[in-house]
Amino acid sequence: MEDKMLSERVFKIISQVMNVPLQEINERSSAENIEQWDSLQHMNLILALEEDLRIKFTDEEIAQMIDVDLILKALRKKNIASTS
Amino acid sequence: MKYSEIQNIINNADFSLFRKLNISILRNVMIESMVPYIKFMAYEMDYEAKIQIGEYDNIVQEAMGHKEGLLKNDTDCVLIFMKLEGLSWKLARRFAALSPQKIQKEVQSIKEMIPIVLTGIRKQTNGMILWHNFEFPLYPALGISDGQHPHGQTGIIQELNNALRDALADFPNAYYVDLNLCISRVGGKNFYDLRYWHIGRAPYSLLGLTEIAFEDFKFIRPLKGKNKKCLVLDCDNVLWGGVIGEDGLSGIKLDKTHPGLSYYELQEEIVNLYHRGILIALCSKNNSEDVWEVFRKHPDMVLKEEHIVATQINWDDKATNIKKIAAQLNIGLNSMVFVDDSDFEVNLIRQELPEVTVIHLPKDKTVEYKEILASCGFFDTLTISHEDRQRGLMYKAEAQRKELQVQTPDLESYLKSLEMEVEIKFTDDFTISRIAQLTQKTNQFNLTNRRYSDADIKAFAESKDADVLYLRLLDKFGDSGIVGVCILKYKDHRSYLDTFLLSCRVLGRGVEDTLINQALKLAKKRGCREVIGEYLPTSKNIQAKDFLPKHGFSEGGLIFDLNQPLKAGPAFFKKIDPSVNM
Repeated sequence: MEDKMLSERVFKIISQVMNVPLQEINERSSAENIEQWDSLQHMNLILALEEDLRIKFTDEEIAQMIDVDLILKALRKKNIASTS
Repeated sequence: MKYSEIQNIINNADFSLFRKLNISILRNVMIESMVPYIKFMAYEMDYEAKIQIGEYDNIVQEAMGHKEGLLKNDTDCVLIFMKLEGLSWKLARRFAALSPQKIQKEVQSIKEMIPIVLTGIRKQTNGMILWHNFEFPLYPALGISDGQHPHGQTGIIQELNNALRDALADFPNAYYVDLNLCISRVGGKNFYDLRYWHIGRAPYSLLGLTEIAFEDFKFIRPLKGKNKKCLVLDCDNVLWGGVIGEDGLSGIKLDKTHPGLSYYELQEEIVNLYHRGILIALCSKNNSEDVWEVFRKHPDMVLKEEHIVATQINWDDKATNIKKIAAQLNIGLNSMVFVDDSDFEVNLIRQELPEVTVIHLPKDKTVEYKEILASCGFFDTLTISHEDRQRGLMYKAEAQRKELQVQTPDLESYLKSLEMEVEIKFTDDFTISRIAQLTQKTNQFNLTNRRYSDADIKAFAESKDADVLYLRLLDKFGDSGIVGVCILKYKDHRSYLDTFLLSCRVLGRGVEDTLINQALKLAKKRGCREVIGEYLPTSKNIQAKDFLPKHGFSEGGLIFDLNQPLKAGPAFFKKIDPSVNM
């Protein structure tokens, strides 16, 4: 998947799970600047991403993926490009 | 559907016209991720779920009322998730190290806690309680020896579950939800998410949570009267493989070997549904003689003519035919499920009759047909009463009555020829559930529409200030069961007609006259001077509007003066057996 497509897909899922308008999501989004983003929503987000992109993160990865930028980095590392 | 899509739908849905479904959750695990599934399943039955979740691991305190507003009068449903790990870590995780005495001590304290929690909840709300049982470990503590005797870890958990089931049976509107069934359907390795169990005490995967929510809604749907009552079946390539009109009796696929087994198994499941009180109807484009030839002559037909209550076998479009079946059975389209293999028919019904639920049987998955029907979850009811088991027979008898009516010249002689027998009795332990069920379900001939639980009816029956009467009807075509209820309340030599209802199946046969007559006689016997009637109009009970004025209640149906002589009941009954005359 192209990098831009990947980030758009991730933004969309964040918007749906957090119930935040899509245009408010960017690479710098995190629990710091999105009110709804608490630890429970973070879990729901990880579960939704895994289901949508058909991947599994390890518990270590989950603990580190605390903002959009880090989520995208973790996804690129997983080589999402080849899976969808 | 994906988790993110579900959240998108419920976040953007317009709930303004939906009724509320108030759900409160008590738990000792993190279960928050289930919320979108609950909201979505409520949305699909036209409800807006309002969900409150109690504090983590505060079940007993909250059952005692420590969290204000969590359990209330208007709580529809209380979900309890009490995982063994949170109650007794030792039983769950260190079982092999425990002495038998220690095990019994732990078991005993759990058994004692369960009714305390239930009693506490019941003091705050009469809402439905759904208690998720204790899960068996995927790998029991004693390995393969665990299952060799009843006191292994699995056996002990079974003992706890039996105690839980028994305790729930002592409380009205409280049910046992079997998580082990959910686990076996999706598989233990898929049911749990060990990462989030470690990170945040959230044990279940998305798949696990979907399965749990689906199981819970099998209880919630009948609670709200949203369970389905009628199964409408296509014939060719559903009840048997092939087309009877082309392949002939010996050419269709139906037997106990592949590929006929798919259809044989599906028929077995249909007959199971019949015995749970589901009405079975046929809707097929065929020559009807061809279809009935299969029913009568094929050796491997599990489904028989006697199971079928309504039939539309012709070449008309299926939307018209399904509407005819609904009219014939006097049920709503929204309580019907239509099963067909054809894309065309399935799409037609989805478009023309969106109220009808459709099950599409995919042509390339015939081996799954039975599984698809058995897993749909539409037909569950909270109890299966004697009347439910007899329902198919009752509808068949009704069809025979209609036939007789057509042949008989006038109503009076028709009613006489039915040879009706009526029993009017005080309620007893065997009839309480059915009476409560009738107060909950009867909408049309129901003067006051007061809805009562089993516990309410029992309380009235035991009170000296009230009587609960029921009416049972039999005729030459069969036993219609309990079809009428009258609740009288007494105060200061007055009797109040709190509830008076009849199942719409038996209206127009003078049955209501026999019930009101007996009620009036009873009130007189109880020393009352008058009976106070009441009619509370709803959108559905208009046909009961004139009932009281027509039966001698003066002032527009308000007061019946018991000093006047009581009329005799209708003459066309073969027997009226009022045990209430004492």
